[in-house]
Amino acid sequence: MLAEIGLTSLIIAFLLSLFAIGASVIGERSGNDSLVLSGRNAALLTFPAILLSTAVLVVALMTEQYQLSYVWSVTDPQTPPIYRFTALWGSQRGSLLFWSLLMSLFTFGAIWLNWRGERRLMPYAVAYMMATLAFFLGLSLFLENPFDRWWILPDLPEAEQVIESAFIPPNAVAPDVERLSETATGLNPLLRHFGMIIHPPMLYLGFVGFTIPFAFAMSALASGDLSTGWIKATRRWSLISWIFLSLGLILGGRWAYDVLGWGGYWGWDPVENAAFLPWLVGTAFIHSVMIQEKRGMLKVWNMVLIISTFSAVMFGTFATRSGVIESVHSFARSEVGFPMLLFWAVITIISVALLLWRRGQGELQDEHQFANILSRESMFVLNNAVFLLLFFSIFWGSFGLPIASELFMGKEVTIGAETFEYFTVPLFIVMYVLMGIAPLSAWGTMSLKRLGNSTTIPMILTIITIIFAIVVGTNPLIAILGYGIVVFAGYVALYEIYKGAKARHKSIGENWFRATIALFQRNQRRYGGYIVHLGVTIIGIGIIGSTVFQTEAQYTLLRGDSVSIQDYTVQFDNYTRAQAVDGRMMNISEVTVFRDGNPIAELRPRIDDYPDLPMTIAGAHSTLENDFYVLFLGGNAERATFRIYINPLVNLVWWGGIVLMIGTFIAAYPKVTATPSRRKRDEVEAST
Amino acid sequence: MIQTKYTLLGICLSLLWLIFPVLAQDTSDNAVNEIAQKMYCPVCENIPLDECQTATCIEWKEEIRNQLAQGESEQQIINSFITRFGDNVVGTPQDPVLRAMTILFPIIAMLLAVIAGVFTFRRFGQYQKLKLEDEPTINQPSDKTDDGYRQRLEQDLQARR
Repeated sequence: MLAEIGLTSLIIAFLLSLFAIGASVIGERSGNDSLVLSGRNAALLTFPAILLSTAVLVVALMTEQYQLSYVWSVTDPQTPPIYRFTALWGSQRGSLLFWSLLMSLFTFGAIWLNWRGERRLMPYAVAYMMATLAFFLGLSLFLENPFDRWWILPDLPEAEQVIESAFIPPNAVAPDVERLSETATGLNPLLRHFGMIIHPPMLYLGFVGFTIPFAFAMSALASGDLSTGWIKATRRWSLISWIFLSLGLILGGRWAYDVLGWGGYWGWDPVENAAFLPWLVGTAFIHSVMIQEKRGMLKVWNMVLIISTFSAVMFGTFATRSGVIESVHSFARSEVGFPMLLFWAVITIISVALLLWRRGQGELQDEHQFANILSRESMFVLNNAVFLLLFFSIFWGSFGLPIASELFMGKEVTIGAETFEYFTVPLFIVMYVLMGIAPLSAWGTMSLKRLGNSTTIPMILTIITIIFAIVVGTNPLIAILGYGIVVFAGYVALYEIYKGAKARHKSIGENWFRATIALFQRNQRRYGGYIVHLGVTIIGIGIIGSTVFQTEAQYTLLRGDSVSIQDYTVQFDNYTRAQAVDGRMMNISEVTVFRDGNPIAELRPRIDDYPDLPMTIAGAHSTLENDFYVLFLGGNAERATFRIYINPLVNLVWWGGIVLMIGTFIAAYPKVTATPSRRKRDEVEAST
Repeated sequence: MIQTKYTLLGICLSLLWLIFPVLAQDTSDNAVNEIAQKMYCPVCENIPLDECQTATCIEWKEEIRNQLAQGESEQQIINSFITRFGDNVVGTPQDPVLRAMTILFPIIAMLLAVIAGVFTFRRFGQYQKLKLEDEPTINQPSDKTDDGYRQRLEQDLQARR
């Protein structure tokens, strides 16, 4: 019964989304307002329909309905309740449904908040959002149905008796429930981690969120309303999507650091890069739209960027689900691969054609020209160029070259971290330099002398930091230079905040705290942006510290033996085997970590036994200074092998991520405007 | 006599050192990892060999240890794996065409961006120059009568008067 309810609501949602597309477009073209409203209502209704469908799947997961093949494939009787719930996005079919749920939620929010303000844009925006939703619902219904069930056809030969089908085939009988629960496969071990509870939904929210600004941009092109209305309507959607995408990437890094057991957090593997690509081009877009809002420039370019962001989202989804990352041949075998590629291509072609048509009509003319190479808009364009170069280089290394090599030369290649770093590090350096200089330049025009003068204080602070780094013995030179470039960007952000607060403190007489708060309230976007820059600076310091100064060593120790590494000593104390609540066996080693002879931590690095994939779970002693990170590679009660990493400043990567979130939140938070009564009260207070 | 003994012992040890390079090689885990971190797991996507704990990777690391013990250099060991298993065991393809494509594409993209940037900013410069040249004409009315826009504006003003 559960499966029937879930399937029916999914079919209804699919039909509603198709109706919403047709009603919105035809209603808008024919000027039939009631049809447009009907389309809007259908779009709004997709959310409760998909919510019901998702709720049904969650109930099936929680109540062990193993006849549903999805439940059978991602849980087993030992799976704890929390992982039963997160199994919703633990595999292809559930995650596609979850994708659709989030898409319908965002659509609901976008219609709810923007219908009155952006009435002219809404019908086409609804059509675009519903087209994306209909595609994903179609995948769920026709190719990756989460409500497929196991059936036995007794009349067929034994090898063909068991089939999966959403509907009951003729003469079919349901399999024995106990037999199903015995054979259920359980959730992928890699996904049984706290990070995996949050990481995928964050990434999906980021991916889905960027569909909203894209839909509004395409609606602007389709409707001919090419004012900045679409940008204003979607500014917060873009920032919210960017927050989620950033959070997803940072949590993914943290999960890799905790679970994958290699002492690092970013391996440049294609799955990570598929999520990083939309972030890069989305970041370029977030910067670039400011120029259009302020100066009426880069209208075509912003359209190109939002199309590219959506395209990267679709490509990322396609790449991670189609099997193209493993091999071109896996792609050919994947059921969703070709439809996804087709949808991605069609929607990109339509969008580009629409853009070219409007451009050809001369409707996307810039209102100003670039007047100066040092102006803020020029800096933003350079920033865009850096992000796009990073995008193309990473795309080429992760997908372009491996696919081309396999297709045309029959060779599989691996593009490793060292190759990515070879071309990304110089680009990141330029990015940090621009992040430092751009906030100091002015819109319109800027002289070199003025720009030079405004960099004086941050530059002095940077030089002091570099001297301090040299005095405390930091080397090599490349790390000192790296720190210099990164902290310069941070000092500029802090200096700009200080300058703004000082101006208020002097002119209005507010105390420093109040002046700073008022500064953020008056221009959330600008000062929130500086906090984001500060977060990126902190991440940069963490990345330099944890990569340039990482120490790594492997030792085999007898029980009771110890080994020293830098000013730490590790002692192998004990080894035990234990069973976890979900039934897996854990091989736990116990070590004591000493620093300068004093015990500072007792760690329990372990290996979890899974049939195909033993997992190495690190034990780490974390401080702001570094992580003392121990991996247990194997052994017994007498002898054990450990790999030890000292990762300096690695925690700054996570702390920087939190600062980045706070900054984006400030920038995206709805502006608090004073009510007339409040304004009047303020005036009275001021006069007395 | 004692001196001769020590000399002979020294010669023997030197010969051993030459004959059995194993003694000259460090086959510790760290030495194996140093090579393994330049190679990649043949099964998992983009996982360096030193970090991978699959059965295949453990075997490969043992093979590296044996090759080190036989006195092979780092490059010889890596080359032997490439010969047997293909380009995907290292992080940068060794095939000259693929290697060039890997390294040159980003460089070409960066060069194109620089060229595009130079052209764009030169255009800004020309625009600035034109703007400066145009400025005096704003203050001093032009005698040119072939300015269509100006003519239309004058006509409109006349009509309004």
